[in-house]
Amino acid sequence: MARLRNKNRKVFSKPSVKKKAAPTVDHVTGDKIPKSFVFSRGKLPGSLRQLQMDLRKLMLPFTALNLKEKKRNNLRDFLNVAGPMGVTHFLMLSKTDAAPYLKVARTPQGPTVTFKINQYSLASDITQSQLRPRCPSDLYKNPPLIVLSGFGSGEQHLKLTTIMFQNMFPAIDINTVKLSSCQRIVLLNYNKDTKLIDFRHYSIRLQPVGVSRRIRKFVQNHQIPDLRSLQDVSDFITKAGYGSESEGDEEAATVTLPCDLGRVNRATSKSAVKLQEIGPRMTLQLLRVEEGLCSGTVIFSEYGTANEKKTPGKENQKNQGGEEDEDEDNDDDEDEEQEDDEEASE
Amino acid sequence: MVEETQVRDFGNRMNKRKSGHKKGGNKARKKQKQFPGMGERVKIDPRVKKFLRKKARDYNSDDEDTEEGLAKGVEDDNLLPEYVIAEDVGGEEAEELGNEEDSDEEGEGTLPGITKLGEGSRAFRNAFKSVIKKGASEDPLGPVLSGHKKLVAEKLAEEEVERKAKGDAKKEKKLVAEKGHVKPANFLDTHERFLISVATKGVVKLFNAVNKAQVAQKGLNPLRSKDAKVINKRKKDAFYGELRRAPSASSTVKVNTSEGDAEGGTPSWAPLRDNYMLTNPKMKDWDKKLDSGVEDDIGGMSDDSSSDED
Repeated sequence: MARLRNKNRKVFSKPSVKKKAAPTVDHVTGDKIPKSFVFSRGKLPGSLRQLQMDLRKLMLPFTALNLKEKKRNNLRDFLNVAGPMGVTHFLMLSKTDAAPYLKVARTPQGPTVTFKINQYSLASDITQSQLRPRCPSDLYKNPPLIVLSGFGSGEQHLKLTTIMFQNMFPAIDINTVKLSSCQRIVLLNYNKDTKLIDFRHYSIRLQPVGVSRRIRKFVQNHQIPDLRSLQDVSDFITKAGYGSESEGDEEAATVTLPCDLGRVNRATSKSAVKLQEIGPRMTLQLLRVEEGLCSGTVIFSEYGTANEKKTPGKENQKNQGGEEDEDEDNDDDEDEEQEDDEEASE
Repeated sequence: MVEETQVRDFGNRMNKRKSGHKKGGNKARKKQKQFPGMGERVKIDPRVKKFLRKKARDYNSDDEDTEEGLAKGVEDDNLLPEYVIAEDVGGEEAEELGNEEDSDEEGEGTLPGITKLGEGSRAFRNAFKSVIKKGASEDPLGPVLSGHKKLVAEKLAEEEVERKAKGDAKKEKKLVAEKGHVKPANFLDTHERFLISVATKGVVKLFNAVNKAQVAQKGLNPLRSKDAKVINKRKKDAFYGELRRAPSASSTVKVNTSEGDAEGGTPSWAPLRDNYMLTNPKMKDWDKKLDSGVEDDIGGMSDDSSSDED
């Protein structure tokens, strides 16, 4: 007699532990989340290797923190891996006798922007120079905000740089973003006179404003205050301590939060935004923009291309023409921020 | 309390033992050998003391006045070598050595034998003095046989030169490797403060925009289709308003300000402005993205509404 199969029988199956795939698509905006690889071309000296590590941490969480590169890997190998993993940007560090260089490129065929690193400081140097360095544990769980300033709107190569940097970090939707997840900020400030770009990386901290210092410290740090010299608890609360010097500056930096953030910052009461520098500090100089991935035609070059050098007369003309254009352009600058929205233009 | 004293005693005992080794070890021990009847090491027989003083006077009387010698002789035993060192190095070294030599040999012989020893010691002292005087030449090699000296000197010189060259090369390499690496200053200088203020302004703008958008939206339920329309409209207006207003407001504060047109002449409603949609490249791109996004939205909404009606 054939065994009757009980179709309703529930088969016990081990719940399969699926490895959570890294999100390739942002569930809010529907865009592809940009991912990056930070690696070096050629052997780097010790401090530059640390800089590379700092940059990797900066790009977290959408980068490979423990990317292992071998001497024999060349660009093609990285390209081959980048495709299936959805990596969109490469940050390449290299060093010559003159200076270290940083190349930012869009895979697979995108433009490459080459920067010369005039100066850099490592994250460890910066924390050593600070009195109270802070690094909360979940600092690198969310991608950073990016602020670009001073780039203006005229020149092509600057525009390209801004677009490149904006696309390197995932967009945020102001309607659904949680302010508690915005904890880091990357600032790129372009100085027109020196043509240098300052690159800084800060951590954001919110502090309630209007609360006396002692109470704030008491609540934030759980430090039990010393009440020996006081007659009454009311003395502790009402005693006017000397105001901090930066009270005036804070006026400009206060925000009203839409919701409670942490124990201290309440909604509808003002909080001050305080930034503390973490992470590497760099001074970059834009050198070259190439059409392809470290190849292709040169769209812009700081020092002029080889062709132009042959005819110095022509080059002078071109340069003069370029300078005139720059003067005419509006020196309009805005803080461009990484924001996205789902609306049509009007 | 009792324990403390005990510990202290023990410590003292340890100290005594150690000091016995180091300090007057030789002399004290030798004296004990001489006079085995003596219990403690530290006590010196006054006779011996006198004798030693006389000896010191003898030694010193050659180079200096008798007065000085006498004065020295009066001083304590233990201070003699130190006093000797404090003076001229050349002569007195010999004296000191002579003293030590003397004390060593003193332990062996008896009192009468010492006078002979004194003469022998004096001869040694003279010889030693002459050697010391010669050896005052500043040869880094020190006393070396003359023939071998040159070779050794050359070798040492070579090694030094090599080391220097290597050191220089390494230093240069390090410099090149570290090129551009700058240690930041402890304080915040003006440029850094300016940068922080720029970043802070950006963050504040963002947070305010978020605040506006999210607070306005709190009352509305995103699932109801009617509310969804309102939400979308609000998002559009609020967001554009924030961004458009922001450049005019903040450009006056920043250093690289536009020349004059942002002072307040620009209307606040975005499409009325002259540079609407033209200046911000991000905005331009956005248009293209937004079109597709809006289409999806509209499609979604119409579906909802149709299902509701049904």
